[in-house]
Amino acid sequence: MFGEDDLVKSHQERSDIIFNIIVIAFAVLLARLWYLQIYRGKQFFSYSLENRLRKDVVRAPRGMIFSRNNVLLTHNIPRFDAVVTPQYLESSDETIVKLANILGTTPDAIKKILARYQGQARYIPVVIKKNISRKEVAIIETESADIPGVSVETFISREYTDHDTGAHLLGYISEISQEKLPKLRERDKYDYKQGDFIGQSGIEQQFDLEIRGQDGYQFMEVDARGRARRHISTDDLYSGIENKVPEPGKNVRLTIDRDVQLAAYHALDGKDGAAIAIDTETGEVIAMVSRPAFDPANFSTGLSSNYWGSLVMDEKRPLRDRTIQEHYSPGSTFKPLTAIAALEEGVVNEKTTVVCNGGYRMGGRVFHCWKKEGHGLVDVVKALRVSCDVYFYNIGNKIDIDVIYKYATLFGMGQRSGIILPRETSGLIPNKEWKLKRTGVEWQKGETLSCVIGQSFINVTPLQLAMFYSTMANDGKLWRPHVVKEVFSNSGQVLKRYEPEMIHQFKISKKTMDIIHEGLFDTAQAQGGTAGASRGVGIQMAAKTGTAQVIGMSADKIFNKCENQPYKFRNNGLFAAYAPAGNPKIAVSVVVEHGCHGASAGGPVAKAMVSAYLNKYYPAYQAKIMGQESVNMTWPQVVEDNRVNPVPMIPETNPEDFYDEQGVLVKNYILDKTGKRVPLEKILDAGPTDGE
Amino acid sequence: MINFREELKRYDYSFFGICSAIFIIGILNLYSATHSHGVGPEQGIYKTQIIWFCLAWLVGIGVSFIQPKNFYRLAYPSYLVCIMLLIMVLFVGHSALGGQRWIGIAGMKFQPSELVKMSLVLVLARWYSKASPEQEIGFREMIIPFVITFIPAIMVIIQPDLGTGMLTMLIFFLITFYRKLKWKTIVIIALMGMIGGTVMYNFGLRDYQKKRIITFIDPEFDAKGSGYNAIQSKIAIGSGQFFGKGFRQSSQGALNYLPENHTDFIFAIFNEEHGFVGAVFLIALYLALFYRLLWLASNVNKMFDSIVVVGVLAIFFWHTIINMSMVSGLMPIVGIPLPLMSYGGSNLLTFGICCGVVTSISNARNLF
Repeated sequence: MFGEDDLVKSHQERSDIIFNIIVIAFAVLLARLWYLQIYRGKQFFSYSLENRLRKDVVRAPRGMIFSRNNVLLTHNIPRFDAVVTPQYLESSDETIVKLANILGTTPDAIKKILARYQGQARYIPVVIKKNISRKEVAIIETESADIPGVSVETFISREYTDHDTGAHLLGYISEISQEKLPKLRERDKYDYKQGDFIGQSGIEQQFDLEIRGQDGYQFMEVDARGRARRHISTDDLYSGIENKVPEPGKNVRLTIDRDVQLAAYHALDGKDGAAIAIDTETGEVIAMVSRPAFDPANFSTGLSSNYWGSLVMDEKRPLRDRTIQEHYSPGSTFKPLTAIAALEEGVVNEKTTVVCNGGYRMGGRVFHCWKKEGHGLVDVVKALRVSCDVYFYNIGNKIDIDVIYKYATLFGMGQRSGIILPRETSGLIPNKEWKLKRTGVEWQKGETLSCVIGQSFINVTPLQLAMFYSTMANDGKLWRPHVVKEVFSNSGQVLKRYEPEMIHQFKISKKTMDIIHEGLFDTAQAQGGTAGASRGVGIQMAAKTGTAQVIGMSADKIFNKCENQPYKFRNNGLFAAYAPAGNPKIAVSVVVEHGCHGASAGGPVAKAMVSAYLNKYYPAYQAKIMGQESVNMTWPQVVEDNRVNPVPMIPETNPEDFYDEQGVLVKNYILDKTGKRVPLEKILDAGPTDGE
Repeated sequence: MINFREELKRYDYSFFGICSAIFIIGILNLYSATHSHGVGPEQGIYKTQIIWFCLAWLVGIGVSFIQPKNFYRLAYPSYLVCIMLLIMVLFVGHSALGGQRWIGIAGMKFQPSELVKMSLVLVLARWYSKASPEQEIGFREMIIPFVITFIPAIMVIIQPDLGTGMLTMLIFFLITFYRKLKWKTIVIIALMGMIGGTVMYNFGLRDYQKKRIITFIDPEFDAKGSGYNAIQSKIAIGSGQFFGKGFRQSSQGALNYLPENHTDFIFAIFNEEHGFVGAVFLIALYLALFYRLLWLASNVNKMFDSIVVVGVLAIFFWHTIINMSMVSGLMPIVGIPLPLMSYGGSNLLTFGICCGVVTSISNARNLF
């Protein structure tokens, strides 16, 4: 069946040859081992004691981050650490005393640090003091012969030009912890080493693999004390080794404009919240600010655990990016959506009027208007202008929540925008199915009434709010917001370009949009508009304010003065707008937590962003609408003016650098009301930190 | 019906015995390599290795109770299964970053390229045992076995795992040699290989092309870094001198001067700690194993069994000699583990199955 029996023996000859081959192979191997272990054994033994050849990692510089106009937002600065390598520490007490003198600490403090690392291999250097001064570096280098085992390690730390201003957007880097090392290696297929830094939030995290580059290595011949020798000997042992030059990280150019970003940041001084500005024609994010913030540079210089602890424990949660990771009730800023849905579905038309007497009764419950005495006779344009709740309750009574859901989803609310940044939250737009699934209870009619004025379940991120207003401004084009223009190499070669991407485009009748544009224009510009406080020279925007309760309140409390409430019970103030009203270029949204009123808290922030942007990019158009005759125009006049007398709008793409009177390049400046650049005083100064 | 008592009486314990001895040395060495100084991420791996060993032995003992005629029957199906697994790896591998050799089976990582070696041995044994054992092998008779070997070999190489691919070809050559490959053919192949290789390398390719080809075949190949590994490995071995530095006294490996010191460079650590004496002892154990295998190959009744045993010998021998040669600087660094001593589940499992197969054949021999 298988094989022929008794013929195996005929292969005996081959089997013998194979055995001979095996014996010869092992004999050659043993001869080789004899040569290595006996003939050159002593030499290799001494090499192994001295570890003569050391492979040092040469870290790749991280890539830089630029604004849309090539202003450097993040770069690297060298930093020096004083380190001790226990293996080479001779007469340790003496050396430690000398080192303590140089660094201005006590020998006991140094011993304590060394004791903490007793468990690890003695050849691994221990950092005694981080971020030492250049003077200390010089002393250690010159006295190196007397303090064996002490050396200086160069370290690249990250510097953020505007400190707190871009904290959440740019993110921060920090050292990879020992426990996370294997997991990250597996995830990124990248050989992370102990002591490597990695982006932990924002752009630094999202683009970490591009920004980080590839580390190189270099071989150093060291003596028995671990000090590098100047030359590599010509010993035959060392033939065939080569150093590897590190490959610098790629650079990232953002869509962010530094002036608008600074304007938004400073307009939010003393407030908690978020401000965001996006280009209505591309979805590019022009500014993105969240406060309270932190200085990301503190993480890369090995921040003290106190600083980190205080950030984590702070109940205001400064590490959270409020523009995309937090969602809020939009309040009245949501009303344009309700109006669009109602107009499009024929629930109301431009002639429908409602009498507002301060409340709306449904079932056994009274829904209050924000104005106790009521607004009288209201049509849809006026309802938007004065933000009349009763008018919208009327719509809410007739409209289905699923219709609201449909339109809100079209405008990008209740879903992640897909912006390329980590940990974006989706917000929430409810529908009947969601409610039933989530709570097991059918949708209640009264809940629709709360939802149409942007309360109750409705929650949006500030980014979604800006997208909503941008989509209204461009009549139905929902762009995917993006913060990165391109990734490019040090030689300037563009490696990846992020083009504007339209999520979808949908049709809304011109009639509806005309009504909405007029309503929002009147809100900001006409007598009695709720956003009237933000009117001013050079601002011609269409806007909506919003005030959202943070807790459920009884009727009398609603009409109590907000400022008299405890801070954490105060209402959130919201403000969303697009500008210029007649020819929109930019959409902004502002949330001020516990700011009480949208107009007073959010208005100035929106105004600061809009004016900074228009002054910089469309100075000609801005000059025109600043003109006396333009300021008091009504909506029909604005429309007519834009039709008859259009001003070409060519964005200024490369504004010059700003020098002060002494001719010094000023990095921290801000645009004032008239578009002039004024210097800002320095915000924060990073000092040296102690070794941890 | 299997008579269990009879079965155990004529059970050949020699292979499991020698392999266990090598493994015990290996596990002590692995413990030493990962525990000499300080802490590291590889601390507990010797425990994992013991678990894999127990599993491999259980599988091996199970295999040893299979009648050899079943190996004959299983030869082609197992080969097809292996080819399918390799295709799966390539398919899965394309969706992931870089090379992919693993597939997950029941939550465990598994390397099909390891199993291929064993099933290839069975297929070649079945093919070669068809013809009369008298007949010698020339070019014509070699074509089909060569194709049988080349298909999985090229699939392993593009994974990319150049080392295992070449090893598969070497196993094929050793088996074919045993099956009376004509001397004339051997001389012609050797001449062709030498001339072709020299011409290609010296005239056909420029330096950067050579590098490019190497990096194309094996992207993980680090031309600059491998020189460093080789030097550190040589220092480790040499510094062991005659008697070695002693258990857990390795400085080279412990200080992580040797990367992968628990897989491919385990022999260097062993030499550093136990010196030339230890190396001689270890090599003697491997030699005993090979001698026993060759003896068995000449003393079975069936050609198929004989070739299978030589195939198993080929698997063990090539792994051992290539690993030891590259670690001691006789050969360039390719990733080939040392049988029974290097860390790794899939290869332990393969060696366990190998032991089971030869034990089964040995037991059947005593039947007559």
